[in-house]
Amino acid sequence: MNSSYEKILKSARDLRWDIGGDFHEKIMESLYTDASRIADRAVTHPGDTPRFDLDRTIDRLVTSRIWGFPLMVLLLTAVFWLTISGANVPSGLLYSLLIDTIHPFLKSIFATLGIPWWIDGVLLDGAYLATAWVVAVMLPPMAIFFPLFTLLEDFGYLPRVAFNLDHIFKKAGAHGKQALSMTMGFGCNAAGVISTRIIDSPRERLIAIITNNFALCNGRWPTQILIATIFIGALVPAHLGGLISAFAVVSIALLGVLLTFVVSWALSRTVLKGEVSTFNLELPPYRPPRILQTLYTSVIDRTLVVLWRAVVFALPAGVVLWISANLLINGVSIAEYLVNFLNPFGLLLGLNGVILVAYIVAIPANEIVIPTILMLTVMISGATGVGEGAGVMFELESGLQTLDLLTEGGWTLLTGINLMLFSLIHNPCSTTIYTIYKETGSIKWTTVASLLPVVMGIVIVFFTAQIWRLFAG
Amino acid sequence: MVDPLIALLIGIGVLFASALIFWPDSGLLWRLQKRRELTDKVLIEDTLKFIFKCERNQKPATLESLAGVLSTSQGRASEILAITQAKGLLEMSGKRFSLTPAGRNTAIQIVRAHRLWERHLADTTGFGETDWHQQAERLEHKLSVEDTERLSASLGHPTHDPHGDPIPTSKGDLVSHGGLPLSDLPVQTSARIVHIEDEPELIYVQIIAEDLHPNMIVEVDETTPDRIRFWSEDREHVLAPIVAANISVVPLVEENHVQDIQGIPLDTLLVGEKGKVTAISPLSRGVERRRLFDLGIIPGTEVGVEMVNPGGDPTAYRIRGSVIALRSSQARLIKVDPITEEEQEISQ
Repeated sequence: MNSSYEKILKSARDLRWDIGGDFHEKIMESLYTDASRIADRAVTHPGDTPRFDLDRTIDRLVTSRIWGFPLMVLLLTAVFWLTISGANVPSGLLYSLLIDTIHPFLKSIFATLGIPWWIDGVLLDGAYLATAWVVAVMLPPMAIFFPLFTLLEDFGYLPRVAFNLDHIFKKAGAHGKQALSMTMGFGCNAAGVISTRIIDSPRERLIAIITNNFALCNGRWPTQILIATIFIGALVPAHLGGLISAFAVVSIALLGVLLTFVVSWALSRTVLKGEVSTFNLELPPYRPPRILQTLYTSVIDRTLVVLWRAVVFALPAGVVLWISANLLINGVSIAEYLVNFLNPFGLLLGLNGVILVAYIVAIPANEIVIPTILMLTVMISGATGVGEGAGVMFELESGLQTLDLLTEGGWTLLTGINLMLFSLIHNPCSTTIYTIYKETGSIKWTTVASLLPVVMGIVIVFFTAQIWRLFAG
Repeated sequence: MVDPLIALLIGIGVLFASALIFWPDSGLLWRLQKRRELTDKVLIEDTLKFIFKCERNQKPATLESLAGVLSTSQGRASEILAITQAKGLLEMSGKRFSLTPAGRNTAIQIVRAHRLWERHLADTTGFGETDWHQQAERLEHKLSVEDTERLSASLGHPTHDPHGDPIPTSKGDLVSHGGLPLSDLPVQTSARIVHIEDEPELIYVQIIAEDLHPNMIVEVDETTPDRIRFWSEDREHVLAPIVAANISVVPLVEENHVQDIQGIPLDTLLVGEKGKVTAISPLSRGVERRRLFDLGIIPGTEVGVEMVNPGGDPTAYRIRGSVIALRSSQARLIKVDPITEEEQEISQ
């Protein structure tokens, strides 16, 4: 019994050497042959030639040398324009409803109930305000951008964009589909990271995840626009101001795209060298988009899920912010200690302590960076007549007022430019970090994705500041 | 406030210093790590491996050559030899040394771990050819017998490493690849590459740069003392005899040969043309190769060129009813037999 068993094993071992290493392939080939024989007998293709003609015509147009790129730029610009201009009105409505109406209303209820000031502060000025702020800034653009994007995807156009751009992304060691996850990142980095699921090659997917943060997200556009308007737009005559500040913001966004390529290139040649890399890109047939289904899935799956995660992270951030501004040690708030502690380092970087503290507190949501900066500036500089009190975020009606307040806080043109740079190049928000962890399942890559941009950002603003001071200061 | 010029200089200094320390593969940190790994255990195992290879190739193992392989001084090398001997892994008779059975077992285990790890790197990671050997050199000392067994099982008990070297079985049997050097192959004969020697690296890099790989078919056109001129798949190569000697080949039996060499690379087809897949080059390996199979690209599949990216790469192909884009680096490795217009009409 035992010896015959041994004999079988031995002959199996010997056979392994005789049949060669490619027997798996031979088996697979015969499986395919059998399957296609069965399929050919059972499946008929009635009139299949004319069906592809429309597809071919569209494909020839969207991937042509002359029309391919202009068409793509036009469509994506249209999506961005619809998002930005379309989101203004509902954002304003939400803001006035949640922050200008409901917040004072809740405050007055708490006051009549005689609830202690600090409970009122933590819950309403901290938790409620931060959450409401994030919802008001984030919800409308996402609710417009994601459905539009999903419609293009459903129609079958986006795979063609990936096809057109693969030529460029290949040079950076990345996958053409990264164009799509990057574009999605302009809406929200967390959603952008989720959308890298379409990239089925492990190395290129990690590249897309780690570099997604360089796509300037929806939560950072308002910061860029505000700072560009009051610092850079103010350098030129008023009628040119809008144009120049728009140019500055677009430059920052394009710098982000450039960094995406540079970092992708470096990653694919160093730390990600050992990850498996393959390429294939399916170009599915065009089909009429299913509008209702698209609306449903993009609102539920993308918008609400991302919003919920943001709220989960923003709420505690509001509490922390309020407490740090109101908990006094020796008559000085924790926030002030922190600001003073970080100020020398911040100034060296061409920023200041307030900005650094705002970026630490606002890790959960980039949307609250500017309100936090304004609140902290008022608190530190002791400016009177503006603001809502310690720990209460606010925004000013006009850019000019903001500029005055910030100048009083010691800001210069360099601070403005460096803030724009740092807003582009810093750690992803905690929603995105959490999403990266969920998507990669790896602490290592989550750490790389979180720390790499913030280190880069510090290095870049540091050198910008020194060179600026050397030549302009 | 610090003077910006000083800050700038300090900043550049810090960047420079961290590059010096953390730069992958040549930074201080990496060198330190490598030195720490160079323990007695590693040196002993490398010694055993070296003597094992010398015995197999029937070359004498000398102290000088051992010191060279271990890149240490001769004094250190003889110290290592003494320890190895004291452990009963080595026998010395005068100036000659030979392995004891226990020493041979250890050496075979190291070779097995090395070749399995190379197979693993080739099949399941994205590392390129030139990285395999270096990494396996480090890992072979870290894999225990059980680790090696598990690795072998997870790879489906492969028989050869990616260079074409046979992997010793868990029982310690090691067959020879049985090829002859390409430089000795008679002119006008076809042969299959069975092995590419990965040491010394300088020569290996030259071979890899020529895109040569085990299982490829070659045919020698000309052999002179200065150069070997030969064809493989779709291009001509010229190598110095010393380089060609590191490629081992087995001459083909006549009937196998015709079918293997047929076909033109898929990326040479133009839009609208069609072809039938004849083979996928062995250069496409691991996950990449399996992906092509998953897409249904196997010998016999009809592939038509649908459209080309405005920049020239990738190209979209119609494969089994769906349109799939492949990069030219992949399409180049798929060999097809072009289908002419008439043949298309007949099949319809």
